[in-house]
Amino acid sequence: MTRLEATRVIAGLAGDAPIVASLGHPAYDLFAAGDRPGNFYTWGSMGLASSIGLGLALARPDIRVFVLDGDGSLLMNLGSLATIGLLRPANLVLVVMDNEEYATTGGQKTPTAHGADLDAAARAMGVPRTATVRTAAELGDVTRPDRGGEGPAVIIAKVSESAPTGKPPLDGVFIKQRFMSALGNPESATSGTLL
Amino acid sequence: MTTPAWASGVCAGIHAAGSRDVVYVPDNPLSHVLRELDARFRDIRLLLATREEEAFGIAAGLYLGGRLPTVMLQSSGLGNSLNALTSLLLPYEIPVLAVVSMRGDAGEWNAAQVPMGRAVRSIFDAIGVPHATVESADSAGETVRLAGTTAFGTRRMGACLLPRRVTTGTTGVRPPGGSQTGSDPVVPS
Repeated sequence: MTRLEATRVIAGLAGDAPIVASLGHPAYDLFAAGDRPGNFYTWGSMGLASSIGLGLALARPDIRVFVLDGDGSLLMNLGSLATIGLLRPANLVLVVMDNEEYATTGGQKTPTAHGADLDAAARAMGVPRTATVRTAAELGDVTRPDRGGEGPAVIIAKVSESAPTGKPPLDGVFIKQRFMSALGNPESATSGTLL
Repeated sequence: MTTPAWASGVCAGIHAAGSRDVVYVPDNPLSHVLRELDARFRDIRLLLATREEEAFGIAAGLYLGGRLPTVMLQSSGLGNSLNALTSLLLPYEIPVLAVVSMRGDAGEWNAAQVPMGRAVRSIFDAIGVPHATVESADSAGETVRLAGTTAFGTRRMGACLLPRRVTTGTTGVRPPGGSQTGSDPVVPS
């Protein structure tokens, strides 16, 4: 499956649930799969998509939170797996688009091309539900809401590279404000608490 | 163990600013704050991160979910955090209250802590993060509260620095023949 196909699977089953995308191609593909206010596109902070998703999942235990990460990005913040394994929010679904390369920067191979196993790393860090999938059907099966099981899920989606077809909005404040409104916790129109 | 007045103040300031989530990477002086939060501020959630940059990422997610997050770190961790601050928190205007335990300032014993400690304020100035310094144990609560309410009100990250002379008392002077008024400056902390 291509990364765009995998992205469409998650976008299709997320419903109104928020999706946080890592910078570069994962964010571009999420935009191509369908721009919506519940998409949080990062334009920097490489490695932090899983951390943003973790914080959001802890803040909003009432909703499922999806993260579309990359293998290169997760490798930049591998400690995140230990923190997810420690805090274990049941509503977090971290999907790692593992194309075994730094596609956004020209296709340099990542360590997963040489055997680094992010699924095993997640299990070793105490993440209760992990899987490695290679087809859209498998990805849909392991991430569907009635799949059950306790705790967060880390899904390694082995994908092939597909050329992105569009770029999401560039304005971070715009992305943030419509995202928070879509979640039902908009930033207040006035400047915070009246002192 | 008695909680030092500065640490009680930091806890009260975080709470008064409306923050109920503290993401942290441990530090020796901050251990007093962590103990006090755990014992007396049960409505504040403590979240351990493996690295300061990760802590700011988690805090950003908490804010997106409607919370007002605090990140507690040692000044050395600012170096680990710069990409999170400059490419996420600042351009997206995601406010976080950063409580920074200072190393490398007056009373420091470890030379490896000095360059970053000396650079903290210049770095915050360079990237446009307002910072306040806690000048005494008595003013800790109000300084932290103001830094927090300003950050959350203006939607701009703000930092509050805790100097070693406040957190460790290592600049206390021992009178000749008298009782000790500060902790022993040769003991590493």
